[in-house]
Amino acid sequence: MAFPKQVKPTLPLVPKKTLHARREQLLEYINKDGTYLPKSVLHADLDRGMLDFVKEDLKVVTAGKIVPMVDIIITTQNWSQYVETALFVDLDYNPTPPFITVVRSPEVKYGTNPSLQYTIPNRKQFYYASVPTWNGNEQGMDIYTIPQPVPVDINYSVKIICNRMRELNQLNKIVMQKFSSRQAYTFIKGQYVPIVMNNVSDESQMTLESRKYYIQSYDFTMLGYLIDEEEFEVKPAIQRVTQLFELDTRVLNKKRKQFPENPDEIVNNFLFVVGNTTLVDVIDYTANMVLVGTENIASYDVYINNDYYGSDVNLIQITTNDTLRIQAFKNDYSYEAKIIFDSKLV
Amino acid sequence: MEKLVPITRLGKFFGGEDYTLDIGMGEEWLLGDMNFTIILYRIDRYKTKTDDVYGEVLEDGIQFLAPVELKGLVQIMAPSNKNLGNSKVAQNEPGNMKFSIYQKTLEDLQVNVFVGDYIGYYETEDRVRYYTVIDDGLVKSDNKHTYGGYKPFYRTVTATWVSENEFRGI
Repeated sequence: MAFPKQVKPTLPLVPKKTLHARREQLLEYINKDGTYLPKSVLHADLDRGMLDFVKEDLKVVTAGKIVPMVDIIITTQNWSQYVETALFVDLDYNPTPPFITVVRSPEVKYGTNPSLQYTIPNRKQFYYASVPTWNGNEQGMDIYTIPQPVPVDINYSVKIICNRMRELNQLNKIVMQKFSSRQAYTFIKGQYVPIVMNNVSDESQMTLESRKYYIQSYDFTMLGYLIDEEEFEVKPAIQRVTQLFELDTRVLNKKRKQFPENPDEIVNNFLFVVGNTTLVDVIDYTANMVLVGTENIASYDVYINNDYYGSDVNLIQITTNDTLRIQAFKNDYSYEAKIIFDSKLV
Repeated sequence: MEKLVPITRLGKFFGGEDYTLDIGMGEEWLLGDMNFTIILYRIDRYKTKTDDVYGEVLEDGIQFLAPVELKGLVQIMAPSNKNLGNSKVAQNEPGNMKFSIYQKTLEDLQVNVFVGDYIGYYETEDRVRYYTVIDDGLVKSDNKHTYGGYKPFYRTVTATWVSENEFRGI
């Protein structure tokens, strides 16, 4: 008897995780019972995942009995089917309907899983995790990297062989409900792998001159991907190192500042004593000499390297090693006279 | 207790005594005069280690029951020269073996033959060829195997050759 719809047969005691907590939970599934890296997912794992999916999610119960399933992918060593079917064979060791079997197309093609197609070339390694390490003395980090998984499409046919239409109906109902959104998921080593339903076909044996039985075939494609542990890389990253420095803690006298600092302006004082009207000087710098003032001077002539430069000039542009000669004409020759220049270095 | 039903068909001119006599004479001819001998290597299906996805034997995981010598009628089919699939690699493939054996012989030895068991057959003193059973002939209800419809009395086992990388004796 079916439960009335308003009655819940079981109550969830632990609330389901959502959002970030759910993502953490998925990561725990992937890392469960192993290293920090995901475990390999190869062809045999995908096949096992499909068998488990059929066994658990497409389980058919008729007349109170579970329809048995041949729980292997039958290969060239087909004698092994006898071990799998030992519980439902007749006197001739032939399996007795109803039963379900899974046939895999041997060829595995490059996948159509849209999240993985031809996006990253050359098996480039990607950061997966940083894992702390401790060797007894030093703390460090290992960097775990993995390449992009390789998408694969594997085609399966799930076949039910039976004598009664109600057994067909039961499997069909389960498949249609499960694939009402076109795809369903199987859970392989902590990862959800999608399975897409393609087609349903009938291979029933209905000829008059032979045994009649139903065979219905459901074609599925698993949009799987291959993850190979052999391609994972673990590299040491930064290690924490203690560095010791010895410092001199004595108090040292502060170095005295040089004074005066190198000036960029120099005052040139040309003093013409009594009886002297000409001064010659070799200038050791390049500067603009600006007249500041004069005392007892009527006029003066300026020569640079014996070339006439000008009379009563207010600015002399002089360069290094020039010979500056100033000839003064005094107001009163019985007194000394001064010409003061301010030299600004250039 | 198992229910037994006497076989009374053909009773006017044939019966259990005639059947036993004919089988006895046949055995004398087959086992005494012909004396074709094969060695049957039976796989111990419950001790053999297989993987849980394909049921294939793991490395060094196959286990055998004790080999048994069987006497019966051996027929070897003609070899065929053909390519391996579409590989363009040609090979001269030995023909299948058909091995017929009295059911009484198997019952006396308490031996059964199943698909997948191996058969060794000495073609010469120093050359043995191995075969694997592809049809164990368990269904023997047809007229040919029932002595004219009286009772099943022999089985025909069909085996195909195997290369030495699959099996080379134990």
